[in-house]
Amino acid sequence: MRSAAVFRVMQEEGRALVRNRVAVLAGLILAALVIMATVLSLEQRNAIDSARARYQVASDAQFDAQPDRHPHRMVHYGQFVFRPLSVLAFFDPGVDGFTGNTVFLEGHRQNSANFSEARQSSLLLRFGQLTPAFVLQTLAPLLIIFLAFGTIARERERGTLRLLLAQGLRPGDLIAGKMLGHLAAAALIGLPAGLALLIAAAVGWAPPGASLMLALAYALYLMSWAAGSVLVSALVARGRDALMLLVSVWMILVVLLPRTLPEVAAAQVHVPTRIETDVAIGRELKSIGDSHNPDDPYFSDFKAKVLAKYGVNDVKELPVQWSGLVSIEGERLTSGLFDRYAQEAFAREQQQNDLVRVFGAVSPLISLRQASMTLAGTDTESHQDFLDQVERHRFAFVQALNLMQVQQIPNVNPGPDPRISADNWKTLPAFAYRAPDTLALNADRLILNFLILSLWFVCLAGLTVLAARRLGKVS
Amino acid sequence: MAPLKAELLLLLRSRISALALILLFVLTALAVASGLSAVARQNAVIERVVAAQAIDRKVVEAQYGKPGTEAGNAAYYTFHLTTDPPSSLAFAAIGQRDIQPYVLRVRLLGLQSQLYESETFNPELALPGPFDFAFVLIYLAPLVIVALMHDLITGEREAGRLRLLQSLPPTGGDLWLRRTAIRYGLVLLAMLVPLVVGAMLAGAGRAPVLLFTLVSALYLAVWFGISLAVAARGRSSAGTATALVGCWIALTLLIPAGANAIITRALPVAKSVELTLAQREAVHRSWDIPKDEIFQPFFQKRPEWRDTPPVTGRFHWKWYYAMHEVGDDSVAGDLEAYRTNLAHRQTWTGLLGWITPAAAVQTLVHRLADTDLPAHLAYQDSITAFHDRLRVHLYPYVFNERTFELGDFARLPTYAPRASTQSAPVAPLAGLGALTVLALFAGWLSLRRMRKVSAGA
Repeated sequence: MRSAAVFRVMQEEGRALVRNRVAVLAGLILAALVIMATVLSLEQRNAIDSARARYQVASDAQFDAQPDRHPHRMVHYGQFVFRPLSVLAFFDPGVDGFTGNTVFLEGHRQNSANFSEARQSSLLLRFGQLTPAFVLQTLAPLLIIFLAFGTIARERERGTLRLLLAQGLRPGDLIAGKMLGHLAAAALIGLPAGLALLIAAAVGWAPPGASLMLALAYALYLMSWAAGSVLVSALVARGRDALMLLVSVWMILVVLLPRTLPEVAAAQVHVPTRIETDVAIGRELKSIGDSHNPDDPYFSDFKAKVLAKYGVNDVKELPVQWSGLVSIEGERLTSGLFDRYAQEAFAREQQQNDLVRVFGAVSPLISLRQASMTLAGTDTESHQDFLDQVERHRFAFVQALNLMQVQQIPNVNPGPDPRISADNWKTLPAFAYRAPDTLALNADRLILNFLILSLWFVCLAGLTVLAARRLGKVS
Repeated sequence: MAPLKAELLLLLRSRISALALILLFVLTALAVASGLSAVARQNAVIERVVAAQAIDRKVVEAQYGKPGTEAGNAAYYTFHLTTDPPSSLAFAAIGQRDIQPYVLRVRLLGLQSQLYESETFNPELALPGPFDFAFVLIYLAPLVIVALMHDLITGEREAGRLRLLQSLPPTGGDLWLRRTAIRYGLVLLAMLVPLVVGAMLAGAGRAPVLLFTLVSALYLAVWFGISLAVAARGRSSAGTATALVGCWIALTLLIPAGANAIITRALPVAKSVELTLAQREAVHRSWDIPKDEIFQPFFQKRPEWRDTPPVTGRFHWKWYYAMHEVGDDSVAGDLEAYRTNLAHRQTWTGLLGWITPAAAVQTLVHRLADTDLPAHLAYQDSITAFHDRLRVHLYPYVFNERTFELGDFARLPTYAPRASTQSAPVAPLAGLGALTVLALFAGWLSLRRMRKVSAGA
């Protein structure tokens, strides 16, 4: 008959919550907020994505419409690429507002991703963006706390706790019933957002696997807050103290830790600036070889190899354009360095991020935020994946143009203004972004974050067994 | 003084109150230390970049300082470093300095394709926002005030002392106002001592620090007013705390985030992308059109070069740099539209200060620290002015076909960091002042109402 008792406590708790006008009002306000945030964020995401797609089409069309030119001019005319926004960015835009979303690609230079929203907004943006993720990560725990802080402490204050236990209700059943009631309430709080995710997945708009996991991650997070709140309510003597304690914990885990850790991480590991990197790449390039210097050993060697390959004695006798070949070799060298330096910088950023992520074990918000951004495809790894794809595309299109120079520009007597047909530009493929499989890109970290979130929930729920024992003793 | 001292002892004997005040002091001190560390790091980065730039310049000088070098060639390969060091108050309100570049190199080419380059910064670290004095002031201090104030009256009622207290003859002014004033004084002390120490370490000027403390004091007063208003009406301590945290959520999280969503949609800044695309088109089109089409607008702007010999061949450096300048000028309209929208975004943010004190303080402290969007735009403007100086300095070489020698590198203009644009804008300051008066008045009204009710009972 134990489960019946648990069920009755749970039912009673539900009835009490529904009778509590303030609780119902707060719940409705939060639900309205989630819905509003979802609609706003959805609209915002679609507007951003379609603007980027529009610019991509326009800039590709401009590229194709260029007149007859020397291919090297097109290397510097370059291409613009825009990062398409993942579908689930509506739920959690992650770092997208902070990273640039357009890159200008040209020969022998690696430009930065520019025009992030954060750089073009007033400081208001730093208050947080009104998205489902923000509401669920930051505000929903507070509501859960307010609903649950008095659930047992108040019974104790009123003296009803002693009465209930005297009537033969086991302390364990009481806590289990209260816990289930508040877990259900937490689930209800997350329901509007969960429904938005499920609908998006059901109509085939959002990836179903990631959507489901996103819903699961938030459910674990919210239920951990519910379990923790019931636990504190069972352990602390007065309702008021439980409230103060829980709000303090919320302040430290949700507001304080995520803010203080980045400064620590940034002070520990430094990432070189672009300027330092540019200078270092320039120097390293010089130490490999200088194509402008006729006596340079590296390029003399390169020349000898090319001459041998074509079986001629002088570059003037080559059937292909010599300076084009030098450009291809030069681009190959610089691109190798770009890759290396970019990887080093990203590794350092990851070192910084890891310093923060370790604290996910302390603050479930950090784990949740990480999992949320990963699943939404808006984390730093996804952004880096975009930058990697962009660099590969840059290299391919610059080398394709260099090859056109090699094959189509006469090696000797090209005339004062050699050009090749504009038809060539249309043969170059436009940038085709392939959205990464977010589940595979960060599988390890995703598993770790889910593990931490589950552990939080299981531990907090498990601790109530101890609390029940104490409850029995005290009364 | 005796009742004040007694009240002080009474307050500090409460565990939660003493803990909250100590916590506030420690957090403020940590935030100041963290801000100072961030500023020191930025200065160190600038030093590193200056060193890297010096190395680069040596290499360029060795290669393009050889006798007989074409000036256009030297100008093409010579980068010029600009820096935007943090202001002496930046430590207290880091603002956008964690995401805006504060070092940028430019050269004589079109500025519009160089001005918006980003620097490396870790977006995941920037996402939650910096931990500095401004953050403690705007977000955390109100919660501490809630902890100190939520049971001001209900706590006495719950302890059964309220009737007794209210029946006592008043000693030295109103009891509740006195208790509120003591709490206000302690909160001010806990926050301002670390701030002033930090300001002294950073060498900040007296006037901006005074204004900064004034803004902080007003903001804290708003929260004491709100707390008093709610506390005097509350029936239970838990209920008061809930209502106050609700106010906090609305004023520091919801309204600002909601307003930002609206401003972002209403004032798009897509012009930035459009002007970059247009500038590229203008510069590259120049290779395929008669040179006259470049020189005509160019000579109109810079008539001093009108009488230099015409360009007859395929390429000449003066044509090359003229086309870059004309390319910049061709997007002036887009640029203005872009900057207008950025300015509007800032203006609307300032106006929001009339509704929520958090937005007013956010605007004010970062304007005082010169670390907001207008500060970065001022940096961009100073780069634009420097770039123009560069053009004026180098055009005589290019247009008069003078060669560039080693000694000419030393004569190149150098960028001097912009003067601080720190200011105390009137709109948010007036808004904050009005909100302070309003909140304190609401607190006073609630107290009066409570007294009437209890007198009637």
